[in-house]
Amino acid sequence: MKMEDMPLSGPDNTKLEALVNDIYSELVEDACLGLCFEVHRAVKQGYFFLDETDQESMKEFEIVDQPGVDIFGQVYNQWKNKECECPNCKRLIAASRFAPHLEKCLGMGRNSSRIANRRLASNNNTSKSESDQEDNDDLNDNDWSYGAEKRAKKRKSDKSQNSPRRSKTLKHKNGELGSSMSADPYKYNYNAGINYEMLGPDEVRSFLTTQCGVISEHTKKMCTRSQRCPQHTDEQRMAVRVFLLGPSAPVLPEADSVAGPESFDIPDGQALMSRLQWEDSPEISPSDSASSKASTNHSDSRRPKKKKRPPLGLNSGGGIGSLSGGGGSGGSQTNISLSTKKKKPKLTAPSISSIYDDLN
Amino acid sequence: MSKDYQLKASINQKLIEMGERERLKELLRAKLVESGWKDQLKAHCKDVVREKGLEHVTVEDLVTEVTPKGRALVPDNVKKELLQRIRAFLAQHTAL
Repeated sequence: MKMEDMPLSGPDNTKLEALVNDIYSELVEDACLGLCFEVHRAVKQGYFFLDETDQESMKEFEIVDQPGVDIFGQVYNQWKNKECECPNCKRLIAASRFAPHLEKCLGMGRNSSRIANRRLASNNNTSKSESDQEDNDDLNDNDWSYGAEKRAKKRKSDKSQNSPRRSKTLKHKNGELGSSMSADPYKYNYNAGINYEMLGPDEVRSFLTTQCGVISEHTKKMCTRSQRCPQHTDEQRMAVRVFLLGPSAPVLPEADSVAGPESFDIPDGQALMSRLQWEDSPEISPSDSASSKASTNHSDSRRPKKKKRPPLGLNSGGGIGSLSGGGGSGGSQTNISLSTKKKKPKLTAPSISSIYDDLN
Repeated sequence: MSKDYQLKASINQKLIEMGERERLKELLRAKLVESGWKDQLKAHCKDVVREKGLEHVTVEDLVTEVTPKGRALVPDNVKKELLQRIRAFLAQHTAL
């Protein structure tokens, strides 16, 4: 071997170079052949074109390189408006609100269990009532009690706020009450008289010079706002003054009978008002009559309010009556009140006129 | 002629015996993959296969189509390196 190599490599370099090239091309052909085998095998096994996709899908999955989006072209704070479906109530809830909602929905919070139970109960009610009506009697009761509770609450809140709506809703009731009670004017007056006896005539007078004083139907208390209080009409104020200070024993029931029914007409009211004024104060000033007229006109423009007035007195009277206690004590007090009523006009008639003068 | 053939055969045997041929082959393969030669040839193969039809492709077809291109596409630096290695081997063994 050595002997063979030596002489051959020695003499000519070109032969050696040719040999080197041969070896090289052999190697390259080897590599090509290897590749060919590989490709052929892939073709025959069917996986040669697996990585091939058409141009459209290639474009679809192109990497996006734009500011504000990720490589898939999506905005990255997309999770913010993601919504999840609640597994309990099947509603879509914003992801950020999901946990609190679930807590409530599944009834794991403090109050939520009650809410959930109630909801469940009501659901059961509706579904059951279709199928059988006997079983859900108690459930219905539950529902009723809940509703009643709610209603009671509503009423309470209505009472607490001194809304005109409330007085309107109670108007009819009072009207009925008034019609039944107006048959006995003395009783009515007695009831009202007792109330303000407690204050004392001087106190009442001083109170009425500065405050509105209209008696609330519900609280049975006098309005402590100023004389110009917008909640009550001038007419109401006047009625209260006449009622408390004036000689109104025969007058007010009459006014009630006139004002009570729906057919309240202006001339009557005006006449009544003027009569009230005249009876209250013999020497009435023109301004007084004007004010009374204005008040009547004012009240005429709002008729429904007018109806409110007589019940107001009645209601308060009724309330006081019950307060003072019925039975034997009531009888004795009637006498007292009547006697005070008789005394009152003489005492208060001049003072009322002075009040109105002050007012005007 | 016979002498050349004899010489060539003896050198090939020497290459295989020493394991140099395997080493060179491996080196060449790595270099070609590295340079992208393999991907180029593969793309060419795809064309050939599509042209012939998936079912009718033979290894012979591929070899005749691919080999000339493969030879031409080998990068110069790879070729030079390989030739250098072979020359060095021959020089080493003729020197002995």
